[in-house]
Formats: sequence, structure tokens, C-alpha cells
Amino acid sequence: MSNKEKEQILVRYGGSRKEREIFLKGMMSPDGKDEVLDDAVILDVSYANLAGDICSSIFAEFGAEVIKIEPPEGDPSRKITPYGVNRNGVGVPFIMEARNKHYMTLDLREEAGREEFKKLAKKAHVVIETYAPGKMDAWGIGYRQLSEINPGLVYIAISPYGQYGKKAQEFIGVPDSDITAQAASGLPANIGDMPGAGEPWNWPLRAGVWLGWYISGVEAALGGAIARYFAKASGEGQMVDIASADSYASLVGYPVTIGFTWDKARPRIGKHDFAIYPYGFWKSKDGIVAIAAGRDHDFRALLKVLNLWKHEDDFRFTFDRIPDILTQIEEFYKIIEEQTIKYTSGELVKKALDYSIKSARSKWRGGGVPIIMEVQKPATARQNPHWNKRKSFQEFDDEMLGKFTLPVNFIKMSESPPRVKWVKCGIGQDNAYVREKYLK
Amino acid sequence: MENYFDYTKKIFDPAKTKEKPEVFKGLRVLDFTHVVYGPTAAKILGQYGAEVIKFELPWVGDLWRFGVYWGNFWRHSSVCFHFVQYGKYFFALNLKLPKAKEIILKMAEKADVVIENFAAGTTDTWGIGYSQLSKVNPGLIYLSCATYGQYGPMRFFPGWDLLAQAASGAISLTGYPGTDKYYKLPDYVGDFLPGNIGAMAVIMALNYRNRTGKGQYIDLAQGEALMRILPNFTYESITNEDLGRTGNTDPTMAPSGIFKACDGKFVAIAAATDEQYKGICEAMGRPDLVNKYKDTFERLKAGNAQELIDATSKWVGSSNVDNLVELAKKHHFAIAQVEDDYEITHDEWRQERGSVIVFTDEMYGKLMLPGPSAMLSKTPGRIKWLARPLGYHNRYILKTILGYSDEEITQLEKERVIGNWDDRPGIKPPVYYDIAADPVFNYK
Repeated sequence: MSNKEKEQILVRYGGSRKEREIFLKGMMSPDGKDEVLDDAVILDVSYANLAGDICSSIFAEFGAEVIKIEPPEGDPSRKITPYGVNRNGVGVPFIMEARNKHYMTLDLREEAGREEFKKLAKKAHVVIETYAPGKMDAWGIGYRQLSEINPGLVYIAISPYGQYGKKAQEFIGVPDSDITAQAASGLPANIGDMPGAGEPWNWPLRAGVWLGWYISGVEAALGGAIARYFAKASGEGQMVDIASADSYASLVGYPVTIGFTWDKARPRIGKHDFAIYPYGFWKSKDGIVAIAAGRDHDFRALLKVLNLWKHEDDFRFTFDRIPDILTQIEEFYKIIEEQTIKYTSGELVKKALDYSIKSARSKWRGGGVPIIMEVQKPATARQNPHWNKRKSFQEFDDEMLGKFTLPVNFIKMSESPPRVKWVKCGIGQDNAYVREKYLK
Repeated sequence: MENYFDYTKKIFDPAKTKEKPEVFKGLRVLDFTHVVYGPTAAKILGQYGAEVIKFELPWVGDLWRFGVYWGNFWRHSSVCFHFVQYGKYFFALNLKLPKAKEIILKMAEKADVVIENFAAGTTDTWGIGYSQLSKVNPGLIYLSCATYGQYGPMRFFPGWDLLAQAASGAISLTGYPGTDKYYKLPDYVGDFLPGNIGAMAVIMALNYRNRTGKGQYIDLAQGEALMRILPNFTYESITNEDLGRTGNTDPTMAPSGIFKACDGKFVAIAAATDEQYKGICEAMGRPDLVNKYKDTFERLKAGNAQELIDATSKWVGSSNVDNLVELAKKHHFAIAQVEDDYEITHDEWRQERGSVIVFTDEMYGKLMLPGPSAMLSKTPGRIKWLARPLGYHNRYILKTILGYSDEEITQLEKERVIGNWDDRPGIKPPVYYDIAADPVFNYK
């Protein structure tokens, strides 16, 4: 092997290229770097809807001055928490999204509260709200009124069916939640076992992650960032409208495109994938491994690794492996499982890696990379030295909230990265600060 | 005062989208991405007006051109590919040849953003990494998308949506408790969500560049993006217990779940607040429960929540969905029918809103696509054209951006620096389409 070839392999796969690693780690550290949104004041009046808190958290991580405004008794989303687990009345999701924010109380149900809010909004750059469509407008503090006194304002509204159209109007009295956002936007319909599996296995199943609210929150932040970019260039603000009941469908696209071209709904197909095979997880001797070997050369490599070459003839091409004949693919699933169950997860991962490294150096193996990885639970992912090296988690210790961990630094940037500076969320804790700074 | 919904209808009117300005007009994005994760980030910038040039290998093409559900191509193309690639320019260039690198370096001088999603370090070995391109153009914003990111001991592991779900732990959370059965999150959402976050990171960097003139390097790890949305780490650090799988119930709200109504349809119901809880109790005729669980945290405890879920399940099973929805409107609790692909495609409100668009393309004809996730009243996102066959914009790009002559282009074709398709569906134009008469493909 020539030196040049060696260097190429090292740069791509090498564990010994420490310089690159150290260089990048320094480059991506947030310490002492600029914050891109430090010129933005953001008012978050989201109520009983964490999609709003998620959106404002993202802005706050990028350095914006976020003022979360709650009624005097606190936002009910403080109490939305798994099994009621809380620290001094604050639930887990609320703690998680209390990043770099100021907490203020204002009673928008009262005229005086609305007047103060208006004064704040005049100085703000972004407003985030999750009330029923038209409620803020009826209070005289909607986009229509605020844009008059502050033409550069970006106004983000999150609701189940959006701010316009017949359905939005009809469902004005129906509030938002994660599970209903999931259900309406086509997610549970595509999770669950095949029709013959029996109840409740073949029922539509909720995703165990808050995808309804997190997608809505991320899209609100993305839409808001685009609107803010435009406002800085043109001086013109605008309204950003998120419909949580459409969040998943419009993010992934499949429900719409497949529903249209097939003119029917996809069946639920359990652990299988519609386009790629093998692409899923299998049992090993001591756990579960994820296997992705969809491309033909990856698949051939997988057969070699698992000693299944005799099946190559039956499943040679991508289109032989499409799970449209479900019985066939179920059978093949079992054939693979008979092999994976013989080894521990660690052994399987090592076998695949050894093959991949050889394959990368050999012109005869066609570059096949059979990917086998151990499936992690969040608890084991937390222990992974890889994420610790990347500072993906941060520990906090607060008088009111106690000790806890947050996933942080989710975007690494060399000049203006997001970061978490503090997590504190007492009701009205920053009333004096906000009044002093913005209402004097 | 004008009715609120008349006012909002006016400012969001989907029919007026084309007349409104595009935020990123004049920005140029070089898109060295493939499959779903990277391309999504680039697509969103294109949706809002950036000129996105997608690079592919001639005669090979993006793997996702063949990513079709159950083997069904649509007009010799993949609808899945259309969705992640619409509105881009398709440039097929053989990166391995020195002449191709020259072209890329020239284009990098005139570009604002570069996006790639190869294994960590790959673009550097090809000479088009951040270290190289930022020398040519210091203002460049360079987004590298990878499952594990660009540094850390596992950086060289290859990745797919599945592996990002596996690495973050997200994969283990969907399914029923007390079983060893679970389900991955479907539809490559582990690619799409981080892809959207990537677009957001680029927009933040563009903002920063406008303020300071500085470009930057962005390292986005899919795994980290997914971990950001999991409450499990925080929950486990507080309780020292595994949150695990919770089946069809959302443990943060009681009652909550997906239930089967007497008409066989499924419906999701949840009480996010005390008021909504009261509403549900009244609607199901169990006012006694309101006083039984006055305290929210008490209500959420597993055993108590189960009592409420059982009561709700019984009530839903004896009613039909339409009835329940009417009750929800009256008593103000969260409800939604579980909708499948067909229902989403046929929902009137989504089309009225512009969340579902019937797009008519010059090459492919009619295709239904989702609209933008966020509706912007003054600068809405839009679809301009669907994906195009491999190398469709070769001449257009070389002539308009780099000013190449016909002779130079023919020479590049001869040397196989640029090229287009062979006879496989996915990369070739649909058979009925007269490509010889196409003014863009044959750009003069």
C-alpha cells in the first residue's frame, strides 16, 4: 500500500488521526464564542403547550433574550410530566425546556396585564403563542394589533389546525396535545404490527417520543428563524403559523405522496421497512442489534459476515428484498435471526467492522459495508464515551430543581454555537429584571 | 373590525404564494448530499429561494433515486426522491477527476453554503472539505451532517436513520411496556428532523455572517439531534429509573391514549390541563372523578392514571368518533382521529391550508406533496419543480454560473467529467418525455 492510500484510509477510518480530533474539538467548543441571536428579544406566552417552550428554548440556546410570560398561577405545562414526577412542582419536560430563559408573570386575562404585554411587545422581535386561534386577537394583542405598533415583529402561533381555514375555525375549542398531534398527522397509523397479529398489537401505536410537539416546536423555530432573517434584511415582520395536526405529515412527506400515488393507506408492517431490507433490528445472544445493509454490496457483505451466503441467489438484488411479499420477508427475518442469536451484540458489531475495514482496502470486496450496531436505550447511550467526548450532556444543580442532566450542544458550530447557560424557572422569578429593563 | 379568520385567510392565502418574495433569493448552496438527511437541509433552503445545486456521480446518481416503497416507481422516478429533492439543480460531475475538482473550487468561490453528509472526513480526503473550501472562500458556511458527528471515537461509523435512532436510544421507546417488542420510528423521521435542524443551523450561521462577515463550520450529529428531543435523560437523572416504553398512553397526561371507538375507528384523547381533565370527566358522565383526583401530579401516578384510562377506554368504546369530537368541542379537551395516509391525502382542510399541494410539474405532471411545515405570511416556502433526471442541469449550471462554452462542455462530456443517465428508472427521464426538445437540458 502506498503512503497516499494509507493516509486516505486513515483520514476516513483512522483511530490514530488524533490531530484532526483535537483540532475539531477545539473548533467546536462553545466557550467564549459569540451568540448569534443576542440582539433578539423574544416573548413566549405559550400556555399548556410545550411546543411553544421548545421553540423558545432553541432561540434561547442561540443567545436570544427569552422572556417566558405565565399567568400568576404558572403555566399548566409545568405539570405535564411522566407519572407526575416533579421537583418543587416543576415537571421533567418543563425543566428540560427551561434553558436560558427569564420567567415573568402577567395576567393576560386582565386589561392591565395585556397593556404591559403590549409595551413589551413593542420592544420585542419575536412573540410565540399557543392560545386558541383568534384568542390573542380578541384580547387586542394578536398579530394584527401588534404588527401595527411594531412592524418588524415576527409572530409565531402554534395550534392544532393553524390560524386560517374552515377546520381551524371549527376546532377552535379543541386544545393541543402531543398524542393528538401525532394521531392527526399520520404517525400512529404507521406504527404497529401486521393486520393478522391480533389486538392490541395490530392497533395504531403512539410513538414513544413526543414527535407531535417536538416537530411543531422545531418547525416553529425554523420558520421563525427564516422570518427573522427576512425581518433583519427588510424591516418587515410577519406571522408564522404552525398546525401541529399536520406537523409529522409535512415533515416526512410519505403519508401524502404514498397516499396519493397508491390511492390507499399503507398497512402497518411491524418491524419492517417499506423500501430497504435488511433495515431493522434483530435479537442477539445478549441484547438487540440494528442491522442496515440495504445496498446490494452491503447485503452481500452481511451474508458473508453471518454465514448466510447460500441465500444470496434468492435475495440478490434490492428489488428481490422489498418486503412487498410479507410472508417471504418474515421468513427471511427468521433466517437472519437464527444467526444473530448465536453471537453477542459485541461480537456481531466486531465481525461487521472487521469486514468493513478489510473491504475498504480491497478492490475485490466491492466496498460492502454491513452495518451492525448495538441498540441503545437512553440510559446506555448516556454512558457512551463518544457523546461524553462531544459534551452532549450537561449536569445542573439548582436550589429549586436539584441535580439533573440535560441533552445539550445539539448543534456544533465553529463561530456561533448554541449553548445552555442556566436552567432556572421559578414562577415570576425575573419580574423585577424585566420591568427594570423593558418597562421603565 | 374584520373577522379574525377572514383576516388570516387573506394574509396566508395559498393562491398568492407566487407573488410573494423569497427570503434566500441570491444565495447559492452546493449540495453534496445523498439519501435523506443532508438533502432535507438543502431542500429547505431551496424552498425559501436559495439556488441549490445538487452534485451526483454521473451514471450512478443518488442512492435514493432508487428508494421506492415496495418497488413502485412513479413515472420512472421515486416519489420519495421527489419529496426530498424538489426545486434543486441537478449536476452530475465525477468527483474523482481533477477537472471536476477544479469546477467545484470555482463554484465554491461563488457559493454561500456547502452541505455534505458523507462519513466524517471523506470530503477532506477528496479535497473539498471545509479545510480546503474555506481557503478559497472564507465566508463559506459549511454544514457536515453525520450520524455521530465529525469528532469523537465513533465518528467513522457509517450511519442511517435507523442507526441514529439506535445510537440515541430513541429506537427503544415505542412499544408496549413489559414486552421485548418494539418499533422504530417510521418514515426515516430520524433523518428528516435532524435535516430540518441542519437547515436552521445554516440560517443562524447566515445571520451571523450578515453581522460579522465570517463564515463557519457546522458539525451536526444526527444522534445528538435526536437525543435533544428525549426527556429520558432528565427523567432518569431525577428518578434513577428507566422511563422505558409506555404503549399507547402518554404518561405525561392522564387520561391519555389511543382508543377504539364503537365504529371501529381509532381516536387519540388527552387531558393536558386540569380544565381539560374536568371536561373529559363531564363528557363521559363521571363528574365523581373530578374531585377524586384534584391534584395533577397525583392523577398522573401510574395506578391512578390507569384507572382513568380504563374509564376513558370504556366510554370511547361505547361511542362513535363524530360524537366524541362534538363532545370535545363542547368540553374543551384534546382529541383527534387517528388518520392514515389515505385520509391525510383527502382531508379538505390540508389542501385549503396549503399543507397538501397538488403540484403540476412540466416533466412529471401531477403529484400531491406536503406544503411547508411552517406557514409564513409574507415569505412562504414554495415548490418550483420536482426532482429532475441525473445530470439534467449540467449545461445550465456550466453556462450560467461558470460561463463555459459549448466546446468546453463537449470536451468535459468526452472526458466523462460530466454525464447523465443510463437506462435505469430513477435516473432517466420518463419515457413519454421528449428530452431532446427540453430547453433546460439543452441549454443554449
